[in-house]
Amino acid sequence: MSAEAITGGIASGVPVWLDWVLSNTPSGLVLLDAQARVVFANKWFLSRAKVRLLDMSGHDVLDVFPVLRGGHFERVLHRAIRSGFPALLSQTLHPSPFPLYAPNGGRGNESLLKQSIHIVPMGPSDTAEAGQRFTLIQISDVSPTVARERLLKAQADRMSGLVNVDALTGIGNRRFFDESMVAEVRAASRGGSSLGLLMLDVDQFKQFNDLYGHPAGDACLKAVAGVLRSVCRRPRDLVARYGGEELVAILPDTDEVGSIRVAREVLQKTRDLGIEHTGNFGRGVVTLSAGVCVGSAHTQDSPASLISRADQALYAAKNAGRDRVFCFDISRQVAVPV
Amino acid sequence: MKLSALGLDALAEIFNHGVGQAGLALSELAGEEVQLSVPKIEELSKRAITDQMDARGANRVCAVRQGFSGVINTEALLMFPVDQSLQLVQLMVGNEFPLEQLSEMEQESLAEVGNILLNSVVSSVADMLHIEFEGTLPQVELGLAGDVMGAGEGLDDLILSLQINFSIASRQLQGYLVFLLDVASSEMLEKKIATFIESMA
Repeated sequence: MSAEAITGGIASGVPVWLDWVLSNTPSGLVLLDAQARVVFANKWFLSRAKVRLLDMSGHDVLDVFPVLRGGHFERVLHRAIRSGFPALLSQTLHPSPFPLYAPNGGRGNESLLKQSIHIVPMGPSDTAEAGQRFTLIQISDVSPTVARERLLKAQADRMSGLVNVDALTGIGNRRFFDESMVAEVRAASRGGSSLGLLMLDVDQFKQFNDLYGHPAGDACLKAVAGVLRSVCRRPRDLVARYGGEELVAILPDTDEVGSIRVAREVLQKTRDLGIEHTGNFGRGVVTLSAGVCVGSAHTQDSPASLISRADQALYAAKNAGRDRVFCFDISRQVAVPV
Repeated sequence: MKLSALGLDALAEIFNHGVGQAGLALSELAGEEVQLSVPKIEELSKRAITDQMDARGANRVCAVRQGFSGVINTEALLMFPVDQSLQLVQLMVGNEFPLEQLSEMEQESLAEVGNILLNSVVSSVADMLHIEFEGTLPQVELGLAGDVMGAGEGLDDLILSLQINFSIASRQLQGYLVFLLDVASSEMLEKKIATFIESMA
C-alpha cells in the first residue's frame, strides 16, 4: 500500500469495497500516524465512542480522549511507536481504557465496554515504504466474555462453599475438616505456634433419638453446632461435624489453657440450652463430652496423631462418666481430667 | 550454535538491560515493585529444558509466544510451569486465586505480561546489536514443554535459554525464556555478537 493510499484517508484513493470491509469489521480500528495523530477510525469505533471522524482526524489521539493521558495506554502506545513491536492491553489489567459505550446504551459506567486492545505499529519495511511509522489500534469488545467468566467464577465459589458445608448443621463437613487440619498443622509448625483441637460428642445421643425421634435428634445436633459456632468465633477458628454426633473445632494459636476454657464454655452453653433428655443418666438435659489436644511446633505432630490424641481424651471423658472435659497430656502420653 | 564464554557474557549484559526495563514497566502495571533477574543464560537442548521442567514436576507449561523476524528470525517463548503462571496472574491482577487453569481473560493478562518482557528483551538486543526486527502479537499456549517448543525436530540442537526470576510481593516465581533460532539465524547472531564485542574492546 502506498503512502498516498494510507494518508489520503478513506475518502479518496481507496476502493469502495475496502471502505465497505472496514465499515463492517466487528471491532474498533483506529489508525495513527507517527505523531500519534488520528488518520482513520472505522464505523464500529466511531459509533461506540460517539464521535465523528471529522472531529478526530488530524488530532493527537490523547487530545481526542484525554482520559488516556498519563495512563498505561499512553506509555504502551509510545513504547510501541518507538520500538515498532506490537503490544496488547488486556481487559483484566485495564478494563475500559477508551470511553466506548454500547451503541444502544447510555453513557453510564454500566454501558462502558470491556476492552481488549492490540497496538500494532508498522515494522521496519512497511515503515520505510510508507515514509513513516503508522500504528493500528484494534479494540475488541470482550464484555460478554467478562460477564460469562464472572458467572463461572461465582458459581465455582458457591460450589466450593457447598462442597465444604455439612447439610444438616451448616458448619463445616468432614472433608472441610480434613483439608483444614492439614493446612493448619502446617501453618502452626511453620509459624512455631500452638494449635488446639477439640473433639465433642453428644452424650447418650442414640437414646435421645430413640426417645424423641430422629427429627428431634437433627434439631438437637443443629442447636449444639450453633453453640460450638458461637463460642469459636475468632476469625481463624474452624468448626465442623466430624461424623454422626461428633463435632470438632480447630483453634489456631491457642494453648492448652485457652483450648480447655473454650471446651468448658461449649459444655456449659450446651447444658444451658436445656434440651430435655430423660435418658441422660439423670441429668435431664442434653450434655456433651469433650477431648482436648494441643500440638506445639516442637512436637512435630501430624494431623492424624493430633486427632487420635483428642479422640483418646474424648473416650476417657466418656468412660469417666460423661459431661466433662479431658485433655491429652503429651509428656505423660495419657488423657487426664481437667 | 556454540557461543564463547565472552559471547554469553555479552548476551547476559544485553538481556539484563532488557529485563531491567521490563521490570520497571511491570512495576508500573502491578502498582508495586516487580523485580526481574536473569540468574542463568545457557545454551541447552530442548531435551535438557524439558528434563529440567520434568525434574521440577512441572512438565505442563503455560507459554507466551512471539515471533521476531528480520536478518535474524526467532520464535521467543516465555514458559512458566502452570502453577507459577496461575500465581503470576494472581499477583499481577491482585484478585482471588484463579481456577485450576487460566481463563481466557486471565490468559490475555499473562500475554500482556509476556509481551512486555519479550518486547523489552528483544528491543535491547535490537538496539545493542543494531538489528531490525518485525514482531508479532503474543499468543498464549498451554501444553507439555516439549510440544510447546516443537520437540520432534532438533531435540538435541542447542537453543538459547534464560532462566528468569520474578519477585513480586516477596514471592519468587520462575520462568524460562527460550529463543528458537534456525541455523542461518544462529550464525548471524554469533556474527552480530562478535561485532558487538569488538566494538566494546
